[in-house]
Amino acid sequence: MSTPASTPHTERAEPSGSAARARGLTKAYGSGETAVLALDAVDVDIARQRFTAVMGPSGSGKSTLMHTLAGLDSVSAGQVWLGDTEITGLKERELTRLRRDRIGFMFQSFNLIPTLNARENITLPMDIAGQRPDAEWLEHVIDTLGLRDRLRHRPAQLSGGQQQRVACARALASRPELIFADEPTGNLDSRAGLEVLGFLREAVDSLGQTVVMVTHDPGAAAHSDLVLFLADGRIVDEMARPTAEGVLERMKRFDVLHGAAADPAGGATDTTGPPGPAAAPADPAGDPPADPPAKPTRDDPSPQD
Amino acid sequence: MLKATLRSFLAHKGRLALSALAVILSVAFVAGSLIFSDTVARTFDRLFASTAADLSVGPKDDLDESVPTGRTPTVPADLAERVAKVDGVAATHVDATVENITVVDRDNDPVGPTTGAPTIAGNWYETERSPVEITSGRAPRAAGEAMIDADTADKKDVEIGDTLKILAAPGSFETRVVGIVTFTTTNPGAALVFLDTPTAQAKLLGGENRATSISVDAATGVSDSELKRRVAADLGSRYDLETADEQAESAASELGGFLDVIKYVMLGFAGVAVLVGIFLIVNTFSMLIAQRTRELGLLRALGADRRQVRRSVLIEAVLLGVVGSTLGLAAGIGLAAGLIELMGVFGMNLKSTEMVIAWPTPVASYVVGVGVTFLAAYLPARRAAQVSPMAALADAEIAGVGRPLRVRAMVGSVVAAGGAAALVGCATSSDTSTSASLLGLGVVLSLLATVVAGPLLVRPVIRVLGGAFPAVYGSVGRMSQRNALRNPRRTGATAAALMVGLALVGGLSVASASMTKSFDDQIDKTLGADFVVQNSSFMPFPTEVTEKVEATDGTGLVVRSRFTPLKLRMPDGKTVETTAAGFGDQLDEVVKTTYAQGSSARALAPDRLAMDRGYANDHDVRVGSVLPVEFPGERKVELTVAALTDNEGPEGPGMQGGLFMGLGTLEKYVPDGQDSAVYVNTAPGTDSEALRDRLDTALDPYPQVQVRDQADYKKLIREQIAVMLYLVYALLGLAIVIAVLGVVNTLALSVVERTREIGLLRAIGLARRQLRRMIRLESVVIAVFGAVLGLALGLVWGVSMHQVLELQGLKAFAVPWSTLVAVVIGSVVVGIVAALLPALRASRMNVLEAIAHE
Repeated sequence: MSTPASTPHTERAEPSGSAARARGLTKAYGSGETAVLALDAVDVDIARQRFTAVMGPSGSGKSTLMHTLAGLDSVSAGQVWLGDTEITGLKERELTRLRRDRIGFMFQSFNLIPTLNARENITLPMDIAGQRPDAEWLEHVIDTLGLRDRLRHRPAQLSGGQQQRVACARALASRPELIFADEPTGNLDSRAGLEVLGFLREAVDSLGQTVVMVTHDPGAAAHSDLVLFLADGRIVDEMARPTAEGVLERMKRFDVLHGAAADPAGGATDTTGPPGPAAAPADPAGDPPADPPAKPTRDDPSPQD
Repeated sequence: MLKATLRSFLAHKGRLALSALAVILSVAFVAGSLIFSDTVARTFDRLFASTAADLSVGPKDDLDESVPTGRTPTVPADLAERVAKVDGVAATHVDATVENITVVDRDNDPVGPTTGAPTIAGNWYETERSPVEITSGRAPRAAGEAMIDADTADKKDVEIGDTLKILAAPGSFETRVVGIVTFTTTNPGAALVFLDTPTAQAKLLGGENRATSISVDAATGVSDSELKRRVAADLGSRYDLETADEQAESAASELGGFLDVIKYVMLGFAGVAVLVGIFLIVNTFSMLIAQRTRELGLLRALGADRRQVRRSVLIEAVLLGVVGSTLGLAAGIGLAAGLIELMGVFGMNLKSTEMVIAWPTPVASYVVGVGVTFLAAYLPARRAAQVSPMAALADAEIAGVGRPLRVRAMVGSVVAAGGAAALVGCATSSDTSTSASLLGLGVVLSLLATVVAGPLLVRPVIRVLGGAFPAVYGSVGRMSQRNALRNPRRTGATAAALMVGLALVGGLSVASASMTKSFDDQIDKTLGADFVVQNSSFMPFPTEVTEKVEATDGTGLVVRSRFTPLKLRMPDGKTVETTAAGFGDQLDEVVKTTYAQGSSARALAPDRLAMDRGYANDHDVRVGSVLPVEFPGERKVELTVAALTDNEGPEGPGMQGGLFMGLGTLEKYVPDGQDSAVYVNTAPGTDSEALRDRLDTALDPYPQVQVRDQADYKKLIREQIAVMLYLVYALLGLAIVIAVLGVVNTLALSVVERTREIGLLRAIGLARRQLRRMIRLESVVIAVFGAVLGLALGLVWGVSMHQVLELQGLKAFAVPWSTLVAVVIGSVVVGIVAALLPALRASRMNVLEAIAHE
């Protein structure tokens, strides 16, 4: 199945080429009879300066898609490009450098290094690379995310929402070609979640960044320009200018078609690693998880988020 | 609950293995030293029991020869005939056996052990008690014939028909080897030379009617003690009578000194291993419990009470102790076997097959192993019991980190104050024994204080130590520094293991450097002679040597010196036993002495005596005091104190108390001694290098003595002190091995705890190399922290030890900076080595799995 995944839908001038693309991207776990396909010959193009959301039921392969596009996981077959660079076939060291210099990451939780303060966390990828951050840009990002008065705080002194904002700032700070956000709102209450989504939207609209977000929350997906729906390791549909209701409706159809039946690829993502917060909850339309208890500290007795 | 304990024990076996290694090392040293000394003791008990005569009649000698004088006390040989007539005596033998000889071959190379074991020459007679039997050739029958033991013959390629020269006190003589004897029992390492009885008496003892002792065999039915009673009744109390048992006992106690040294050294190692091991075990259990806080919380939530939780941890500790002790006991047997083999190198042919494992060995092993583990695990176990059921829900990283260190600060300061008081007391005390015991107390207390307060020092010290990291290594450096600060308790305990060993090394190296410098200063200040001829182990040598020196062309002034033990009754009523030196005239030309009162001329005059002013004050002695003195052989005379010296160190004349007299006085009362040193000045107009060459040539036939100038003499002293340093370095090695285990342990756990963090770092682009560097830097900063703390403590100890040494006259103080710097650099290496495995493990982690890790 081949789906043109990127459709321009705004009036703005479209930059040439895509930020990332994959052709025949296949990821199998195990081999022979017991092999499980997490991704089945996926073709996808991620448009530049767009906010793309990837949705799908648990086990649909959406996390695997993100991991392989980001060079975190190897592929079984197919090719992946980041800009003009083919990353399939790159060595571990080159992949590390690629992630460091050209990709930004946001995870669901545990995004920050607890021993470093907010500013140090934000500039970490550039520090690791031994590069000086672009000061003007950095200040701009910090102000945009409203982190000015939190820069000297350690992660333990920040609320969950603040922590995700710092992670967002880190992803933006080096002006990467592509930002991958893996369930960035999964651990936040709805207000903090909305705020983070607003910042991601802002990153695309005013800062000209490219964002790919994996989520199971239709409300979150509604903030994107384009939603890709994954099921059984394939892109089965897409929706431009999504609304929460529209996405929810589309997801419900999945449940009717696939959800009840035993899904052959159902356990795929779950077998990749021990179950943890990064694995999506089984119920795609479930209640948003509660914000983890903010850690009270001397400096910040009441989280202001 | 027991099942849960066992499961947990097995689940953490990797981590426990490191602790077990510490237990194994401690127990191995304890068991090894016990097995070794038991084995040696039994071997020698057997040797002495089988070779001692029923009764031995020897010269009476009340004075202990703490400094060898070369004297050989004798009894008249015809005593044998008199004793033979005593009722109940079956037979008597004349013994003429000496140890103060050197045997050389044709090339003047010494034939005999070079390990400090004696070369024994004696008369040969047939007896069933001989430890040897003739295995080739025949017994010596006339002057100029000798037998030698097979082990020595093998080692030095001596064969029947070879000529050997024996350098004995009365003079040197040549003999031809006519027979070889072989030990039928354990060879204690000595070289044996047998002569016929008249030759032995004449050439070894310097007189035909002399014997070193008379061996008496009892008639059937007469017990040894009965025999002793009867012989004593006949001879009176002029001689020293010893039964076989008594001889074995005194022989064993002589040997015991040497064996005790080995035993104490080994126990010292065991002590260090135990001490350092405790930190490792405490740390391991603390970490295991921190790691399992949630699990323990769950157990508590499910209804386990505190006692059960505590017991579960302690049972784990006991299991570890039992496993460690068992393996340690096995390792100890191996260690003892190794030592026994090593003794073979020194010529002591013990047999591994006769190894003795007496019951106290396993008992001590298990008491040490299980006891240490149990004690070390007790605090962590209590902490485990205090885990609240709520911990099942809490964030694991937070638990156990933030608890305030206030209690530690308080206890630490109180103990530190005690330690400081003791050390200050030690420094200001003027009495050596008070000072030494205060030193011991101070060392223990200050060590304890540093261990308790260590975690408090982590922050300030590591901030400074790792201060340059962010500048040099950027974020990687910053993260390593902060990781080391993350859990001060853990960092402190890990570093403490290294600290203990390095504090010992620091203190002892300061002490030895100060000693070396003091001796150097003393030699510079007091040694006026161009050359000193003496034995490197300060053993006396035959008069022939002195004669050769005097006869050498270009020799100017020659001043002889020798020692004697003596007993004095002091004016304060105390009777002291010490050693006095005797010097030839013109002492001032070769040894510069400062006098508080009197002069060399007065001190060396007949029947006069000089001593150190301080010693004299202690005993109410003044110039003019007349002291009753007893010399060896119960010679009682009175000597007048004619001078008091004001020497700063032990290299002044004399030994303890600085007693010395004229050589004429000494030789008058102790006629049968040997010279211990000969001071030589170059004759006017002679080149001293040329004289030295001639002296070396002249003394070539006497390999037991060497010619030394001031520089050589310093080197000799340094070598003596170096022996102590080798021991220090060996201790250091052991302490480091265990400390490395501790650092590995801590890092390995930290890596596991920080799995997600590491995954995140890798995801956002930290290269494997950078990750390894981060862990390595953390390891290095922990190791250097331990080293700095240890060396600082060691310096404090060193200063205090110096105060004690100063009371002994070793005034100079030196800090061996190069050693200390080397130790710090070494600790960097320790950090790097310890980080190897944990860093590799961290860098091999799968990024995705690490991120998803909980």
